[in-house]
Amino acid sequence: MARNKFNVDEELETPFNFVHLKRLLTYLKPYKTKIMVTVLIMLAASGANLIGPYLIKQAIDEEIPSKDVQGLVILGVIYLGALTITGICMKYRIRMMSQIGHSVIKNIRKDLFTHLQKLSFSFFDSRPHGKILVRVVNYVNSLSDLLSNGLINLITDLFSLFVIIGFMLAIDVKLTMYAMAGFPVLAGIIFIIKNAQRKAWQNLSNKQSNMNAYIHESINGIKVTQAFVREEENKKIFYGVSNGYRGAWLRAVKIQFLLWPSIENISVLTVSLVYVIGISMIGDGITVGALVAFIGYIWMFWTPLANIGNFYNAIINASAYLERIFEMMDEKPTISSVPGANELPLIKGKVEFENVVFGYEESERNLDSINFKANPGESIAIVGPTGSGKTTIVSLISRFYDINSGAIKIDDIDIKSVTISSLRKQMGVMLQDPFIFSGTIMDNIRYGRLDATDEEVIEAAKAVQAHQFIMGLRDGYRTEVNERGSVLSNGQRQLISFARALLADPKILILDEATSSIDTETELALQKGLEALLSGRTSFIIAHRLSTIQNASKILFIEKGKIIEEGTHEELIQQRGYYWKLYTSHYSSLDAG
Amino acid sequence: MQSLRWAWSYIRNHKFRLYSGLLLALAVSALNMVNPYLAGKIVDDVMFAGNTGLLWPLLATMIGITVVRTCVRYGYQIMFEKMSQSVIFTMRENLYNRLLQLDFSFYNRTKTGDIMARMTGDMEAIRHFTAWTIYMIFENATILIFAIIFMFTIHPPLTVAIIAIAPIIGFFAYRLSRDVKPTFTEIRNQFARLNSVVQENISGNRVVKAFAKESYEIEKFSIENEAFKDRNLQSAKVWEKNLPVLDSLAGVLTVVMILVGGTMVISGSLTIGELVVFNSLIWALNNPMRMAGWLINDVQRFIASAEKVEDLLETKSQITNGDEQNIQATVGTVEFNNVYFSYGDGMVLEDLSFVAQPGQTVGIIGPTGSGKSTLVNLLSRFYDCTCGDIKVGGINVKEWDIHKLRSSMGMVMQDIFLFSDTIEGNIAYGNPTATLEEVYEAARKAEAHDFITSMPEGYDTIVGERGVGLSGGQKQRIALARALLKDPNILILDDTTSSVDMETEERIQHTLHSIQENKTCFIIAHRISSVKDADVILVMDDGRIIERGTHEELLLKRGYYYNVFQNQYGNFDIHLMARK
Ligand SMILES: Nc1ncnc2c1ncn2[C@@H]1O[C@H](COP(=O)(O)OP(=O)(O)O)[C@@H](O)[C@H]1O
Ligand SMILES: Nc1ncnc2c1ncn2[C@@H]1O[C@H](COP(=O)(O)OP(=O)(O)O)[C@@H](O)[C@H]1O
Ligand SMILES: [Mg+2]
Ligand SMILES: [Mg+2]
Repeated sequence: MARNKFNVDEELETPFNFVHLKRLLTYLKPYKTKIMVTVLIMLAASGANLIGPYLIKQAIDEEIPSKDVQGLVILGVIYLGALTITGICMKYRIRMMSQIGHSVIKNIRKDLFTHLQKLSFSFFDSRPHGKILVRVVNYVNSLSDLLSNGLINLITDLFSLFVIIGFMLAIDVKLTMYAMAGFPVLAGIIFIIKNAQRKAWQNLSNKQSNMNAYIHESINGIKVTQAFVREEENKKIFYGVSNGYRGAWLRAVKIQFLLWPSIENISVLTVSLVYVIGISMIGDGITVGALVAFIGYIWMFWTPLANIGNFYNAIINASAYLERIFEMMDEKPTISSVPGANELPLIKGKVEFENVVFGYEESERNLDSINFKANPGESIAIVGPTGSGKTTIVSLISRFYDINSGAIKIDDIDIKSVTISSLRKQMGVMLQDPFIFSGTIMDNIRYGRLDATDEEVIEAAKAVQAHQFIMGLRDGYRTEVNERGSVLSNGQRQLISFARALLADPKILILDEATSSIDTETELALQKGLEALLSGRTSFIIAHRLSTIQNASKILFIEKGKIIEEGTHEELIQQRGYYWKLYTSHYSSLDAG
Repeated sequence: MQSLRWAWSYIRNHKFRLYSGLLLALAVSALNMVNPYLAGKIVDDVMFAGNTGLLWPLLATMIGITVVRTCVRYGYQIMFEKMSQSVIFTMRENLYNRLLQLDFSFYNRTKTGDIMARMTGDMEAIRHFTAWTIYMIFENATILIFAIIFMFTIHPPLTVAIIAIAPIIGFFAYRLSRDVKPTFTEIRNQFARLNSVVQENISGNRVVKAFAKESYEIEKFSIENEAFKDRNLQSAKVWEKNLPVLDSLAGVLTVVMILVGGTMVISGSLTIGELVVFNSLIWALNNPMRMAGWLINDVQRFIASAEKVEDLLETKSQITNGDEQNIQATVGTVEFNNVYFSYGDGMVLEDLSFVAQPGQTVGIIGPTGSGKSTLVNLLSRFYDCTCGDIKVGGINVKEWDIHKLRSSMGMVMQDIFLFSDTIEGNIAYGNPTATLEEVYEAARKAEAHDFITSMPEGYDTIVGERGVGLSGGQKQRIALARALLKDPNILILDDTTSSVDMETEERIQHTLHSIQENKTCFIIAHRISSVKDADVILVMDDGRIIERGTHEELLLKRGYYYNVFQNQYGNFDIHLMARK
């Protein structure tokens, strides 16, 4: 899994094809009738619109020369009536189009977001988060115009195109053929432009995504940037990224804007052709009047055609976004419940690792034949150097990653055979990197179990010694914290996520360096309170401070992805191996100074 | 108006493009009139009068004009695009520079998603305005003005009669612009909220999965997603109330023309020929009025976005730069004199005083939330203290050039942040020009070199967002290497080795000792082993220093420090030591 950086374009796995467009159309299906009604309304509106010029011609040719004031007024009234009808039609058109357009946008975004929830860690870990964000929010938004105005205009334009061609055919078939002579040329030009335009917009969407990723990361890492006085360097990088976007934009429009001039020039050429041919035919199968009418239609004919060309343009542009959106929707979750998986029944908390081998990447072995068993209610301490694989072991219990070989069993059930959510719901996990959502402290703790009452939340907070400091905050449990908890000190964040894990009332509790930023005093107080709470739960505790791990039922010493020692504190001390060395070095370090 | 003036201050720098673009647009509008005229001529002179000799020259002119017109049009379209891209580019740059300047307090209260919304969606609205709306307004306004002037020269009374309904149109246009503005503001705000909820979900994806709260997240998201749609529909409601009226009123102009003009012809004050001319010009009144509604929409949409962007640009950092440029003093001395600090409500630090000399190490220990991190944040001037003063090198930090001050410090924050870049790029973050050898050296000092080289891609390994792909202790060591590479005079380690195993920590401490001579070191930790060698240990509780002294002195005091020591070492089995 190669990770993506902000300044690297993402590769497209499935290039755009018309299947994507068809898929987009399925989103419009539910609104079929609405669309049809709107089209009808628009046709009615164009009908009413057409009356206008006729009425005026009538007035100038008939009523005014004959000084018929009454007739003039009648014409005026009819005209006003037509205007009212167009007004009403327009009102409905606006309403319908925005409803359809925004509903579709909403649905696409929802599907995308829902799918995003199914994707595994590796998806989120392998690219800057700004690039995911831009797809869900900005890319989807950019479809809005295509959906609301584009489609309905397309239908009405097609309709008028056919009507006009019909009229033209009725006047003269041969001339109509000549009038169509521009088509193949136009098609050829569009074909040439299309490829360049596709590439340009793909490039643009990539540059947009890169820029977003860079902005996103700049915001998140601002404290480091300021602390390291990196501002000038970042400005330079941003200049580059932003300039890349500008360049891509200009390249894209330079190609896109070619379509219009092409259409106009071709149209003027075909019209000239029709003039030449038509005039040579006068008296020989066509009358002057018919030719004049025909030429009137030919001019009219190019307007809807140009609109259709524009729509085509819009599709080409949108496809650069669509393909990204659908690509994400099609992204297979690497971790998913097997088909027909059962719910994990209420567990007792036995956990077994049998010959577990795991690597984050194919070529690696981050864990190698891990074997151990934890009985219900036991507490297992995992110790070892950093990077030895402690966090990796516990993340496998929640099935955040799938193992390469071996088996992980809970209550003798292989975790691969049950649904993921039934598995995870029975665990309380406190991750090494505590994450706090924006919202109140209360909500953050309650995240562990949404139906917990306020009292239960407070109970959990008390158990982890967080109650006191929470009450010291401005609004107590109702204090709003920002995303990642910027109002709280790090240790306080750990306590909150600890309380959250506890509140889930899990049979299996995983504490990954839960107290690393918490002072020993608080930790001890916490441990005392916890003993009662931990009884009946299997717990996995990762820690570096010996005071935290000494009392565990079993200690696993991990090094380089292997369990190299296993036993209780006393047993391991007796063994005089790695753990013993660790233990004594802890104390001998006191003399070293 | 305010927003327009603001936008103008950017557009002004591209006056040449703007004016020449507008001029060309004008020329094209004029050329637009030629082809219908030529077409009329062909019908009259060639078809009816049978003057076939004229056909070729007429057609040639028609084609020639079209070619010129489309080329010119293409030219000014690109010109407008270039102008708007340059405008946006500068704005975006200014925004970014502003973001780099803003202080921690701002980031503590502002959501990432909100800032992202301004940098993306709002900028897009501004782009649309500068690239398209400005030119459309200009085009329509010129057409309208020319048409009115032209009509006026033909027949003033009829012209006045036609534009007499302008006030009614004006009223609806006013109502539209008044009512639609708040809806656009709402849309922008909701867009920011939508951005935030998605952003947080992505950032917190590990927690979401750990607690299997996917459906709850979808619910949370759906509320904002639905609201975003609703806000948009609300705006559309205002349009549907006003736009059709404006559109129909534009048509009423024609009705007025034919009725009033007709009666005038009948009464003899207007010739039928003049009425026909009026009729052929009426589109030039109709179209701009019809467009007016949509343009008003665009303008208001722009204003709503511009206000948000401007607002961010106007946000001032509370930390203002001092101007002490040439500081010769020994940078390493750090002095706190009766420092008080509050984040807003309630004192977090109270009456802190201490001095640290170059070469000294200050250990800080104390309960969670006692103010340890806050103390070092004040030192780097991420916040300003409420009262008292902090001196570095004998000079108040407020007088320092802030960049110089921070350049002299190397800080490892408690909440480690790594960038999604290569490991090498991360270590060299503070010194982009450092050589590879220097990077290795810093990594070695931080005990990180070995694990880095054991990775398949070594220093070129790309770490994920926030350092995903590394263990907690590995992240801390890379952050330490990053700080060491700066070779700072003041080194600040906030809980830097909490996830590092004790053996490695001991080695790190050893290295730190050897490079410490002239550095002032601040080490915040919970393990006694991390601070015991410090020259002075400050024990903090509830924002105050409650004990201070060396390890031995503090043990003798039998206070807080002694208790911590007891907790960590108290039940130590002496026999084991002896047997060793
Ligand atoms: N998401 C990941 N992708 C790839 N490698 C990883 C990932 N997370 C951790 N690693 C690697 O796996 C090894 C074990 O990490 P971890 O289990 O986090 O260690 P620790 O024992 O400190 O908790 C480390 O070498 C680390 O670099
Ligand atoms: N950005 C902030 N806004 C408001 N209060 C804060 C902020 N950061 C920390 N605090 C509060 O200040 C106190 C001290 O925090 P801190 O210095 O981070 O403690 P620690 O000693 O654990 O490092 C805590 O009570 C915390 O709630
Ligand atoms: Mg870990
Ligand atoms: Mg802290």
